[in-house]
Amino acid sequence: MLSRNFTLQAAGDLDWIMEHYEFDSIAFSIDELVVLNVDRDISDMEQFCGNLAKISAHCFMPIAAGGRIRRVEDAENLLKSGADKVVVNSTIFLDHGLIRALVACFGSQSVIASIDYKRVQGNEEGQVYIENGTRPVGMTLPEAVAHAVELGAGELYLTSITKDGTGQGLDIEYISRIGDRVSVPVIISGGAGNFRHLSDAIKLKSVSAVSTANLFNFMSDNLTEAREEIIASGTPLATWEKTARNANR
Amino acid sequence: MKYCTNCLMPETRPRISFDDRGWCNACQWSEKKRTSLDWGARWTLLQELCNQYRTKSEFDCIVPVSGGKDSSYVAYMMKHKMKMHPLCITIRPGLALEIGEQNVINFIHAGYDHIHLTPDPNILKAIDKIGLVEAGRPLLGWQTAVQTAIFRFAVQIKIPLVMFGEDGETEYGGTKKLNNQHFYDAQDSVQIYLEGHDPSRYRELFTDQELYWFTFPNAAEITAAGLCIAHWSYFENWDSYEHYLVAKEKCGLREQEERASGTYNNFAQTDTALYNLHAYLMYLKFGFGRCSQDVGIDIRRGAMSRKQGLSLVRKFDREDPESFIPLYLDYFGMTRELFDAAIAEHVNKKLFRLESGKWEPIFEIQ
Amino acid sequence: MISIIDYGMGNLRSIQNALTFIGASHSLTRDPDELLRAAKLILPGVGSFRKAMENLVGLGIAESIVAAAKLGTPILGICLGMQLLADEGEEGGACNGLGLIGGKVTQLETGSIDQRVPHMGFNEVRFARPLPIFTGIADASHFYFAHSYHLVGNRDDIAGTTTHGMPFTSIVARKNIVGTQFHPEKSQSHGLRLLRNFCYGPIC
Repeated sequence: MLSRNFTLQAAGDLDWIMEHYEFDSIAFSIDELVVLNVDRDISDMEQFCGNLAKISAHCFMPIAAGGRIRRVEDAENLLKSGADKVVVNSTIFLDHGLIRALVACFGSQSVIASIDYKRVQGNEEGQVYIENGTRPVGMTLPEAVAHAVELGAGELYLTSITKDGTGQGLDIEYISRIGDRVSVPVIISGGAGNFRHLSDAIKLKSVSAVSTANLFNFMSDNLTEAREEIIASGTPLATWEKTARNANR
Repeated sequence: MKYCTNCLMPETRPRISFDDRGWCNACQWSEKKRTSLDWGARWTLLQELCNQYRTKSEFDCIVPVSGGKDSSYVAYMMKHKMKMHPLCITIRPGLALEIGEQNVINFIHAGYDHIHLTPDPNILKAIDKIGLVEAGRPLLGWQTAVQTAIFRFAVQIKIPLVMFGEDGETEYGGTKKLNNQHFYDAQDSVQIYLEGHDPSRYRELFTDQELYWFTFPNAAEITAAGLCIAHWSYFENWDSYEHYLVAKEKCGLREQEERASGTYNNFAQTDTALYNLHAYLMYLKFGFGRCSQDVGIDIRRGAMSRKQGLSLVRKFDREDPESFIPLYLDYFGMTRELFDAAIAEHVNKKLFRLESGKWEPIFEIQ
Repeated sequence: MISIIDYGMGNLRSIQNALTFIGASHSLTRDPDELLRAAKLILPGVGSFRKAMENLVGLGIAESIVAAAKLGTPILGICLGMQLLADEGEEGGACNGLGLIGGKVTQLETGSIDQRVPHMGFNEVRFARPLPIFTGIADASHFYFAHSYHLVGNRDDIAGTTTHGMPFTSIVARKNIVGTQFHPEKSQSHGLRLLRNFCYGPIC
């Protein structure tokens, strides 16, 4: 899926991703994979879990999966299908009990709170939205972050709706301002276009990881190269070898 | 094949030129826009122009719109920023896509006065077909009407100021004639935008009346009307991604859900199915496709590096609009064989070779 | 045949995927007898120490694991699975562990931005001594961590340390028992190598 200014665009089905995106050959360049079910209509959880199982068979790094988690059972199905953590979004604001239940069942480290915010300009605080950026929840980003942490989320995934899809860079100035006060790991997302954007974001002390859904900008070996460039520019990242199937026998 | 060292435009692009760094004219222009153009002076000129034409209670300018991001942006700016009273006009293309039509409706409902002008579709189709067969330009009829019908309309309705979007030659690499000139005339139109396809030649095939919307008013009429046909891109740094964002927010623009054929985005050129064919023919004629164009735009606005663009161009430029072929055959009234032959006529055989019925590139994108 | 202990907690599929990838035949088990007969055992785990012990004891597996250990069966404890090897854990209230590798499991200390809890992400592991399970893996390689607790045990059992604000034990090893705080099945090539070493090589 490619996100363009917070509106999703179909890139292709799973086979397309595996073949044209050459996912197998770049999986070893990323620290984590996030797979979100963004079906606008009634989502077919079973199909999503099936796809997740296929993807995860090729991945030996952590996988976070989410979208439309409404019951503990949904999260359980995702974890059984290959996810290591679940991602929750609107539920953070609409069903506190569920979040606490997920944390109790699976542990904080298995629950990522995904929060989307809009921040148009200047010094204003980001305003949090749910439902694909259409419904304001009436909280600023710092408030929502504190709320999510209080509910027990082990990580935060913060997406700038304003920057998302623009390819003009992430919201690093703002996130670095508020990130210092956050007590759980922060993943920043929204706006990555070229390698430099990723590099600038990951240099921030308060940011643990940078995420991009901009599939097309990082086709072929561009993710691998981006990683190498980030390391070359002085930010130490984990390095591994490419794993060829059955090469270890 | 030689390529621009900054974007991915090849030397085969008509009217392209390179500087000593190997940067093409579009990239040079993009740099110049960022560093050395006096935008202040240009904006002042726009204000003066608008002051000159603005009326209290009548339409004082025409904005041609397609429902797409760029023209919607221009209409929005003319109305809300320049406080003009635009009458917007859409020339209906052949094989209009539903999302394109819906975007026109969404635009109108954002609050604009609008005229939907449909030239006789059969004449339009006939000229599109002439374009396809003679020049590999299947949108020629519509591209013509977008110029001629606007000129005609402006003269008839006595609204002399017309604000188009961008001068493609300046922005995307071409003749520099309009780099520093905000208006153009019918002659420029024929030479630059219609690439010499003077519509008056269609008089051999159609009556004057049938060609009303496809021919320019005569010189005397244009002078009498005091037409001023301008480009917004002269007055403001043209940024089509910014326009997309504004059009989404202010004019109800919606994207396709699927990726567009031949490229990686989903929010540009969604008004006619013929555009896919036009873009594909461009690829076969010159060796660069829709993806190359989009990548150029993204590289110039800093959203992508050349290397990232290269991966995309290698993957998507060559994508043919196979699923649209039945639509095209029906539209042009051609058999598959004739259609393929018409295309084959315009393929640059130095760049492509026919293999199992498909045109495969024999050049490497670098 | 590698037996992966299924006690209702833990990322079984990921481990299975990894073992499939390296071509090691494996099966899931929660049968006490099968456990005892296994050639090698993997004890996974994600979640609370207390709940895990409740499940293990409830299923009658806790005893079998201890018995298998006595028999000399190579056992690899992963993440919570490593922590369960301890004498005692805090999470969910004080509770006894399997006692196979001494020590106590307590919360990681929080501190500055560099010391956020849970400890999530790839981090360096420094080997304390050479072990067969480290063959072909460079010292200070990165492995994936996702935990809020850590095992504080005997110095002799420490086989690897990692720093998260302060140093903590990331690998324990005592004869035929090895525990990794990180997830080798989620640690890309290094993790796969470690799993391969465990499945095909000697334990000590």
